[in-house]
Amino acid sequence: MNPFLKAAVRDTGITRWGYIRSVLAGTLALGSAVGLSAVAAWLIARAAQMPSPADLALAAVIVRFFGIGRGVFRYLERIVSHDTALRGVVRLRELTYERLSAASARTVLSLRRGDIVARAGADLDSVGDAVVRSFIPIGVAVTVSTAAAGIVAWQLPFAGGALALALLLAGVVPAVLTSRSARIAADAGVTAAAELSVAALSAIEANAEHRVWDAGTEARAALEGANRAVEDAADDAARPASLAAASQTLFSGLGLIACLALAVNAVRHGDISGPAAAIVALTPLAAFEAVGAIPAAIMQYHRSAIAAERLAAMTDEPDPAADANPAPASGRAELSMTNLTVGWPGATPTRPVTATVAPGTALALVGASGVGKTTLLLTTAGALEPVEGAVTLGDTRLTPADAGVSYALTLEDAHLFGTTVLENLRAARSGVTEDEAWAALERVGLAQWVRSLPQGIDTELGTGGHTVSGGERRRLLMARALLADVPLQLLDEPGEHLDTAGIAALEAAVAEMRAEGRTVIIVTHDDAVMAMADQVVSLDES
Amino acid sequence: MRPLDPRLIARIGPARRYVLVTAVLGVCTALLILVQALVIARALAPILAPTELADDGLGWIGRLVPLSVRELDVALLWLAVIVAARTALMWLQERQAHRAGTRVVSELRSAVVNHGASLGLRWAASGRAADVTTLVTRGLDNLLPYFVRYLPQLFLAVTVTPIMIVVVLGLDLISAIIVIVTLPLVPMFMVLIGRLTQARSERHLAAMQRVGTQTLDLIAGIPTLRGLGRARGPAARVRELGDAHRRATMASLRVAFLSGMVLELLTTLSVALVAVSMGFRLAGGHIGVETALAVLVLAPEVYLPLRNVGTHFHASADGLAAADKAFEFLGETVDERPRSGAAPSLAGATVSLRGFGVAAADGRLAPADLSFAASPGAVTVLVGPNGEGKSTALAALAGLIKPDAGSVEAGGVTLATAQECVDDESWTSQCAWVPQRPDLGPEGRVLSLGQRQMRALTRAFESDRPVLLLDEPTAHLDRESRASVIAAIAAAAAAGRTVVVTTHEPELIDAATQVVTVTAGVSA
Repeated sequence: MNPFLKAAVRDTGITRWGYIRSVLAGTLALGSAVGLSAVAAWLIARAAQMPSPADLALAAVIVRFFGIGRGVFRYLERIVSHDTALRGVVRLRELTYERLSAASARTVLSLRRGDIVARAGADLDSVGDAVVRSFIPIGVAVTVSTAAAGIVAWQLPFAGGALALALLLAGVVPAVLTSRSARIAADAGVTAAAELSVAALSAIEANAEHRVWDAGTEARAALEGANRAVEDAADDAARPASLAAASQTLFSGLGLIACLALAVNAVRHGDISGPAAAIVALTPLAAFEAVGAIPAAIMQYHRSAIAAERLAAMTDEPDPAADANPAPASGRAELSMTNLTVGWPGATPTRPVTATVAPGTALALVGASGVGKTTLLLTTAGALEPVEGAVTLGDTRLTPADAGVSYALTLEDAHLFGTTVLENLRAARSGVTEDEAWAALERVGLAQWVRSLPQGIDTELGTGGHTVSGGERRRLLMARALLADVPLQLLDEPGEHLDTAGIAALEAAVAEMRAEGRTVIIVTHDDAVMAMADQVVSLDES
Repeated sequence: MRPLDPRLIARIGPARRYVLVTAVLGVCTALLILVQALVIARALAPILAPTELADDGLGWIGRLVPLSVRELDVALLWLAVIVAARTALMWLQERQAHRAGTRVVSELRSAVVNHGASLGLRWAASGRAADVTTLVTRGLDNLLPYFVRYLPQLFLAVTVTPIMIVVVLGLDLISAIIVIVTLPLVPMFMVLIGRLTQARSERHLAAMQRVGTQTLDLIAGIPTLRGLGRARGPAARVRELGDAHRRATMASLRVAFLSGMVLELLTTLSVALVAVSMGFRLAGGHIGVETALAVLVLAPEVYLPLRNVGTHFHASADGLAAADKAFEFLGETVDERPRSGAAPSLAGATVSLRGFGVAAADGRLAPADLSFAASPGAVTVLVGPNGEGKSTALAALAGLIKPDAGSVEAGGVTLATAQECVDDESWTSQCAWVPQRPDLGPEGRVLSLGQRQMRALTRAFESDRPVLLLDEPTAHLDRESRASVIAAIAAAAAAGRTVVVTTHEPELIDAATQVVTVTAGVSA
């Protein structure tokens, strides 16, 4: 089994009993169909011998029971298996959240891309689908096929063996072919689909640009090429899939022929009775339904394996520091950078920086895009190790565990939650009172706007709630930062997309932080924001 | 929802051919299943009958399969041929289905993307481009299960089912009555249950989506919470939301699976009733064993396609919904202003907006009543808060957005009004327009935003186009590049080109010959 899917399924904590009762219910459902076929065959064959109706009564009752059982047990199976899988997904989701919240800086920062998060949601569900649509149907196929072959073997062992072989082939051959199809789809298909997505978005969004610069033909050609690649990949994947479907028809037909031939011959030789022969000849008609679910189950298995692999890649290694106990806040303390050089592993490090920032003062970090300003901020916060030199608050090197105690980091694209204004501000500190919240909103010039909202400070924001403009968003993040009671404030591009009034509100907020004796580091490339700082450090090579 | 969207058949060539082929294959499959059942009945009847079989128990239907099939060797030969033919048909059907499915998706995808491209800049800026991309990449892929799984079963339901009913009718009247009475109950009950539970399912569905969104929201917020030292707390909340999600989902599934249960219950129970009824009549000598066997084998086949249609209904619903969205989108109209001849040469011409306004999504005009003239040799800078229409005004000068009020003019000639405009191509090709976040096509994708910006600006400066239109040209650039861009803008103006830029950048505003403030307003 795919190791990633195996690990993910283990994380769902679904017990053996969880699988057993789902497979049991599914076996009873499809077993009812097989049983109906077998007992009805016996009933007709026995009736042909013109017995008294009382001899048929029990069989008639059993046939009716199976007639009802199939629907009822199937309903039961679907409810039980979905409930089991959903409970597992809840556990897996919580576990994934916990791992992400303690993951390395690189992993955590990747979550800023909305598509990664949205895909994670679908991937978690996909692990649950592996249980409902892959493991359980395969389990049911094994039990029902065994039971069907057993019933036939009980009447005529040789025919039972033939049916077992046919069922095995009708399960395994399509499974292998479907696996190949899924792998082709995963290899060529996913690449082609990604290229298509880029080409389509570019053709649509940049159409005006293509028109102006006569690049429309190229964009269309790129799209057609991507479209054809997707088509070809789908066609390659469809070949084994079609063979899989055909092979099921073939093997179920062969099973039927073999059982019929053996049954008729056995009666001719006087080995078995007519009713027994009817069971042997007609049970195969219903026996192949369970293995019929195997191609879809194999497809789901491969889809879920890919999803599990993505989840594993997303939650990589935990950051040991995130779990440490925070050092007690050192009160108002000086931040010092000594020959500090920072950089992501493998990237060009920044030039060394030496600076001391006294409590109640602000330092602006400037430099060309991509030079490493945000990286320096993350290193200060302890999310990354310095390449060389040191950065300390007071005498201590900060770690991620100190967040919210010694420092607060507000990233450029910090998240506003789909909850109320007040709850969004409480992300800074759980004890924020309404009065404190209003004071912070007042400070960033948002109080007026919040009052105008339908439920004031209890208005829900974001998806399904009130939409927030870029400027309002920035100011809310500013208010949130103000409410974090920490000696060191790390602000990443707080002035981006702010108009003149917004810059003034930012200035007021920074002034308040300084007045409270906090140390402030601002990453910016805006002149007006630079003017708020007591000193400016550039990361550009001089 | 219609099971077969007529627009798919009418407009997509491969879909039309596929429907025809599938219908033919469906009838062939039905005949093979029928003959197979008759062969099984013929082969088994002699060993089950208490006395020698005299007359043909299959009546007029028996003409399809000669009495000689009662011999095992002949029956096995027939069955071998049938199985081979069914295997071949199955392969052909799957192959056809996959091929037609991918073709249809591909054609629909091209049509939607090309239509999206033709809707123009204003539509692309509306933010729906991302939705349409999702539709053409993932949404339309749902049409594949519709073509491969659902449609063939739908055709089998309309071919196999009636043929089987007629055959059963020819074999045994009472069995036929049971089938004919129960068959309509299946769709009836399903519709009835669907209706009764619709409000509930919708409520559950909404709850599921809400809870799902909230969970993803918490995950998306991890970087932010980590920065505030509060990432650990919400794990419990994630579990609570997960449990709420599970409860909502299960409540919805308990209802949704009911219709599936009714489907299975009715179809299986009627087969059981047919078998029991025949058993007693067989014991009473009212029906022959050959007949009973044929009906017994055929009865489940009557219901099978219908059951499969029910099973694949949900997969098909997603695909059809996507197709529906695609066709709806294809129905949206493009700019239909009449075109009145080619644009004049813009070299050395003063380009101007007069009382210019464009309707924004929120009902305002952005910009509203904007008038200015950009002369050659001058740098005209458009300023103003975000969302007031600077970029729109700039794109209008390139002929990419047409006015809803006022006009665009050049050298005294009207280029566009709310009623008409000149030929797009002749106008646009004279303008060196650089949007925010330029794309640059495939080769641009490996570059960073700043690099792309510089590359696009260089292309504009180096072109021989007389009108230079730059949207926030210094954004995403470092100080050095910013200075070089501002110098290049001044040089372009000095060379006699007409330059219009939008910006928030004080240094660039300082370099302006004229500064125009763009404001939105209520529409008149």
